[in-house]
Amino acid sequence: MLAQASKLLPLSETCAPATQADLAAQVQACFSAGTPIYPLGGGTALHCAPIGKRQGCGIATTALNRLVDYPARDLTITVEAGMTVAALQQTLATENQFLPLDVPQAGDATVGGALAMNAAGPRRFGYGTIRDYVIGISAVDGRGTAFSAGGRVVKNVAGYDFCKLLVGSLGTLAVVTQVTFKVKPRPAAAAYLVHGLASLEQAESLAVAMAASQTTPVSVNLLMGAAWSEIAEFNLPGPPPAAYFVVGLEGTGAEVEWMLATLKNEWQTAGFPVSRTVGEPEACASLRQRLTEFGCDGGAGTAVKSKLPLVLKLTARPSSVVALVAEVRRLFPSASLLAHAGGGTVLARLDSELQAHELATPLLQVLHPLATRLGGQCTVWSSPFAGELTRSVCWGPARESDAMLKRVKQTFDPKGLLNPDRFIFG
Amino acid sequence: MIASRFPTLLAELRRALGDDNLLANHAEMVVYECDGFTIEKNCPDVICFPRHTADVQTIVRLCNEFDVPFLPRGAGTSLAGGCLPVDGGVLIVFTRMKAIEEINLRDRYAVVQPGVVNVWLTNALKGTGFHYAPDPSSQGACTIGGNVATNSGGPHTLKYGVTVNHVLGVEAVLTDGSIVRFGGPAEDYVGPDLVGLLVGSEGTLVVVTKVWVRLTRDPQGYRTMLAIFESVDAATQAISDIIGQGIIPAALEMMDQGILIALEQAFHFGFPLDAQAILLIELDGLEAGLDEQRDRVVALCDAAGAREVRRADDPKERLKLWKCRKQAFGAIGRLSPSYCTQDGVVPRTKLPHIFRRITEISAKYGVRIVNVFHAGDGNIHPIVLFDEREPAQVKAALDAGGEILEACIDCGGSVTGEHGIGVEKIPFMAKLFAPGDLEVMQRVRTCFNPDHRLSPGKMLPTAGGCGMEHKPKPSPSIDRTHPGRRAAL
Repeated sequence: MLAQASKLLPLSETCAPATQADLAAQVQACFSAGTPIYPLGGGTALHCAPIGKRQGCGIATTALNRLVDYPARDLTITVEAGMTVAALQQTLATENQFLPLDVPQAGDATVGGALAMNAAGPRRFGYGTIRDYVIGISAVDGRGTAFSAGGRVVKNVAGYDFCKLLVGSLGTLAVVTQVTFKVKPRPAAAAYLVHGLASLEQAESLAVAMAASQTTPVSVNLLMGAAWSEIAEFNLPGPPPAAYFVVGLEGTGAEVEWMLATLKNEWQTAGFPVSRTVGEPEACASLRQRLTEFGCDGGAGTAVKSKLPLVLKLTARPSSVVALVAEVRRLFPSASLLAHAGGGTVLARLDSELQAHELATPLLQVLHPLATRLGGQCTVWSSPFAGELTRSVCWGPARESDAMLKRVKQTFDPKGLLNPDRFIFG
Repeated sequence: MIASRFPTLLAELRRALGDDNLLANHAEMVVYECDGFTIEKNCPDVICFPRHTADVQTIVRLCNEFDVPFLPRGAGTSLAGGCLPVDGGVLIVFTRMKAIEEINLRDRYAVVQPGVVNVWLTNALKGTGFHYAPDPSSQGACTIGGNVATNSGGPHTLKYGVTVNHVLGVEAVLTDGSIVRFGGPAEDYVGPDLVGLLVGSEGTLVVVTKVWVRLTRDPQGYRTMLAIFESVDAATQAISDIIGQGIIPAALEMMDQGILIALEQAFHFGFPLDAQAILLIELDGLEAGLDEQRDRVVALCDAAGAREVRRADDPKERLKLWKCRKQAFGAIGRLSPSYCTQDGVVPRTKLPHIFRRITEISAKYGVRIVNVFHAGDGNIHPIVLFDEREPAQVKAALDAGGEILEACIDCGGSVTGEHGIGVEKIPFMAKLFAPGDLEVMQRVRTCFNPDHRLSPGKMLPTAGGCGMEHKPKPSPSIDRTHPGRRAAL
């Protein structure tokens, strides 16, 4: 990971402290010397932000990877931030529990990295995101002050909720060292229902039908483009569909069975008969994996792997998702898309042969203003040319809350040393 | 503020808001001298009732100009002194900003002003198939703005989470008077989650003037049960077993014998008065899964030694049962002239331990304590009964409450699950958090609230070397005219 990080980031040195105290001492040393700090987890998302030029110290959390406490009957777990998400899930699986987050590249991605990136996938519709599961946190701010917030109980309102604040902070406020999660029992059963859409316009009718459905899906996905063409479950009879509507169901056996029957009826009534049911556990796991990994290296299937993927992330009110998908396809006809039709997030995987300058104009002129108008934002989620992107192309126009965010940043990192030039703060 | 400038401030506020939206007569203001935490009281100097965000902005700007403390208040149902005007000053009461501005079912959100009473939104959504999930026991009175300030919970948090899990965005007036929107109806706004920080900040960072809330699909069905136990240990064992089996009820509430007697007198539900503990268990979700889950819960309660498990599947019976639970605090009036509710949290497997400690502490201080818990969350609400006319009883009640909270900390818990720190629990912050934690919290407070005019004397310890928290000013200021009952304690 460190070798990979050194290729992407301007690292003059790296270290991997094994305790929070050592990590704090390292940050204090950097603070005194004015050395930039690049926090490193599993290195799976380093290309998700612009890359600055300032040489600095890569501080990896990978040696902070211990299980601290797992009182399974309390449905909580405390781990150090460098534990991989896969290792966390394996531990939880021994008690038939899980953390219901779809984190890509979970074998490498760390708990702290997933938190800093606010990693989430399709099942966020049913389960929420990492902010809904973090109940305690320890971290080291840009001065080297170690601090904690929250605790190890599932309900707690004592003090400011830094657990939430650090979600999505991209390592620019503090280096997370330890996290306590509340977790859930694993559902006994899962299934997916697939409908092949003749046109994108039909997707809105189906999305409306889903919004009023009696069922409680964990994910509602609108998929489009070449990335989905080689999935066996999507190989439907008849002419190739324009898009796929895929709904994920989880629960007890009886619940999933009832939801399958009910959705089939609801879709039939709405004029969209179910094209395929995916119920085999292995097939479900494989499809879930493909949906989770869409924005990453594995997401394009066996095709192009030589370059880092070029992925946009767009958000809007859920009712605007189809419009957003249509506009991305108009601008980038070969784009593959995964839209969370229930929640309003769209991931668009573009041709990675595109150059940075070819991306800037459509983003600045069309997609940034469109997403803003629809209540959301457009960002570059991953790119092979992170070093060439400006912050405004990558993160979109400033929002009115940015001034306050900058003051918060100043509070945690007065010298601006944490991940400099990578995020909205500069 | 120099006292002689007070009439000028009052005149400016009157001019901006109009006579109808302001109170400055002591007799009229005295009901605002405390919230549900009645042990400390202090009257504000002026009370403003803004009707628009712009009114709030005007009030905040004037408070800055005249160097007067200010703080927001919803319905005043909070239980830790969160809206106690510690230094007097201007109390901004939101009960006239009560519009539900938008309900958008397709996109699953609603936009409300902070003075909207929680149950009004519930009522406005009836029949739509959606609801707003957080339903504190005081939902008939408490406002959504207040819920945001304290990150309120309620009986259904075990499955549905607390307020912060259902707030998508807020519009707020910052302490410099600017109006800023944080978050909104879409997912994942870029940047650290400031909405998550502001929810639960107890009115110490910003003044919230609008809230975007998530709407949740109504569950298709309910199965409500009442399990009667001969001992608290057996009841808590059942709780642990139910959750250990992977069943997450929508609500899992425990009431002990003391509270049952009061409830029975008030509501005549037919509770067995000789039972030591009762569990109110509610499952919800798809009909398809409910009967099976109910049978498993009944079997687990039986195995843990329940004397009887009654079903309240009939909607009328269910509503009556919930009415008992939600009005439990009201029924305490039948037991004692005054009471103080604690709000500790323990890991739920430590419930038997903490309950034994409460019994010991009750005996030690000679005060009666009755219990109604959000047991599934490990959130305990021991209710200490006393008579506020007897100073010795007040002291015993406070000491007993304090010792219970210390016991919660000792078993890895917290001193507040849903009521907040307010003024009541400030002394516990240094026991719960390390100096470094409090230092970082203090910095964040100062970042949002640099002059500490907003909600002074709340949430963070005043002493301890941080140096930036509320300090009474040496110049004669309006608040010095009535320092409040706190001085007497």
